[in-house]
Amino acid sequence: MGGKRWFEVRSPVSPRRAILSSVGIWVAFFAVWIIASSAGWVNPLLVPTPAKVFQATYTLFAEQGFSTDVLISIGRVLASFALACMVAVPLGVAMGAFPAIDAIFAPFVSAWRYLPAPSFIPILLMWFGTGEAPKLALLFLGVIFFLITLIADHTKEVRKELIETALTLGANRTVTVFGVILPAVLPNIVIAMRQMLAMSWTYLVIAEIVASTTGIGAMMMRARRFLHTDEILAGIIVIGVLGLVFDVLFGVLHRRLFPYLERQR
Amino acid sequence: MITDPLLKVENVSKRFELRKGTSITAVEDISFDVAKGTICVLLGPSGSGKSTILRMVAGLETQTTGDIYLNRTSIDGPGRNRGMVFQAYTSFDWLSVRRNVEFGMKINGVAQRERSERATHFIELVGLSKFIDAYPSQLSGGMRQRVAIARTLANAPDILLMDEPFGALDAETRWQMQELMIDIAEASGTTMIIVTHDIEEAIFLADKIVFLSSHPGRIKEEIIPDFKSAGRLKNKEDLLALPGYGELERKIMRLMREEGHKS
Ligand SMILES: Nc1ncnc2c1ncn2[C@@H]1O[C@H](COP(=O)(O)OP(=O)(O)O)[C@@H](O)[C@H]1O
Ligand SMILES: [Mg+2]
Repeated sequence: MGGKRWFEVRSPVSPRRAILSSVGIWVAFFAVWIIASSAGWVNPLLVPTPAKVFQATYTLFAEQGFSTDVLISIGRVLASFALACMVAVPLGVAMGAFPAIDAIFAPFVSAWRYLPAPSFIPILLMWFGTGEAPKLALLFLGVIFFLITLIADHTKEVRKELIETALTLGANRTVTVFGVILPAVLPNIVIAMRQMLAMSWTYLVIAEIVASTTGIGAMMMRARRFLHTDEILAGIIVIGVLGLVFDVLFGVLHRRLFPYLERQR
Repeated sequence: MITDPLLKVENVSKRFELRKGTSITAVEDISFDVAKGTICVLLGPSGSGKSTILRMVAGLETQTTGDIYLNRTSIDGPGRNRGMVFQAYTSFDWLSVRRNVEFGMKINGVAQRERSERATHFIELVGLSKFIDAYPSQLSGGMRQRVAIARTLANAPDILLMDEPFGALDAETRWQMQELMIDIAEASGTTMIIVTHDIEEAIFLADKIVFLSSHPGRIKEEIIPDFKSAGRLKNKEDLLALPGYGELERKIMRLMREEGHKS
């Protein structure tokens, strides 16, 4: 074996071992879960078997109209996130491009970032009642300030030489912003959106658990009342899968939009 | 015949205000001119204010005192008549080589047809025809600098300003680029100011060398490499073989050394 050990500092892992390792950890996880729940080590009411959870997931979709809840949740995330982007992209880019605008908004925006969005739930409920508005508002508040800051920071990182090159080529302010700064920062804006969309899912669950009768989170709270742990776990899995799907979609979008970044020598 | 120089720098000083009310004089009382169609090299140790002078000519910095004239007109801010090539890569990564080179013409309203023709011409001039539809990330460092040079030239500036444009390149690519600049100067008659701290590069490229001393940056000497009496050389090895080259190189090295001892 030439003395080659399994763990070697910063020594790359072969693709085969990488696959084996990543599958292995999941097999181990399910093995522990199955053994623990079927051998009676844990209360089956609190920890159902994987099979029961998948059965529950199927039943939820096939017989209990769960897809409506899922669509409502997706709709909430997308609507609030689109709203947040409509504000954050122009404002963040403007702040990154114009120090004068940054000087106005940066102190305001960074202060809001320290206020945890869920702490607004009571007041949002009083302001907006029980419809869609308070949920959208919470999701919006949860991501908007981070999104603005991220986009502004990325915009500030656009290299000075690029801007000066544009100026010496005869660019005016409009061309400099829309012809150079914006396209230069766009790939990073999409990355920031990807990160913040993940955060949006977190706030969605909070909003639906605390103050909703529809959506994935509300279903989970209903299930809790009837001790349907399998349905709660099904909800968690569905949210996880949705988060993953949207993340992958954003990854694909990024590669589609910015093919020039990939063609490295 | 006496003609006005294309660029005239007159008693220019630049003081940068630092925090806490302190300031630093980057360059002081700089005067020199650049005649049309010539290559002027700004040479000097690091910190002697070469970049500052070039950036003031480009209009990216404003001088504290003095005047800079291009075609007898006092310059005010950056403009397309003074094109700049930086040491750092400035390719617009989201545009193909062709679109990069067309960028300046496009924003200045040059018609599509002429734009395309001029881009093709200048891309050929810098030897990148095969890569006309490539994206910058597919190119090597030297090729990216060629794109930057073509992009600036295609915009038809009156003067081309270059700040250590080949500083980041490996030795072989560097002299290829130096020879390319001579080819361009000969082919297009472009007036250039090139900043460098490489003595050999300065002697090879320059019709006139402006040597700067540091802290604060002042002009120490203007040097005409008149041993190149037969005109510009196309090959670097011809330069090294020319009588008079070694002597000038030694002279400049002595100037550099004096600067080193000063601080
Ligand atoms: N934006 C700036 N702010 C403060 N000091 C500067 C600035 N730019 C240059 N300097 C100072 O001016 C002097 C000359 O710098 P520079 O023009 O970059 O020299 P060179 O290009 O010859 O190396 C240096 O001492 C440098 O620190
Ligand atoms: Mg410099």
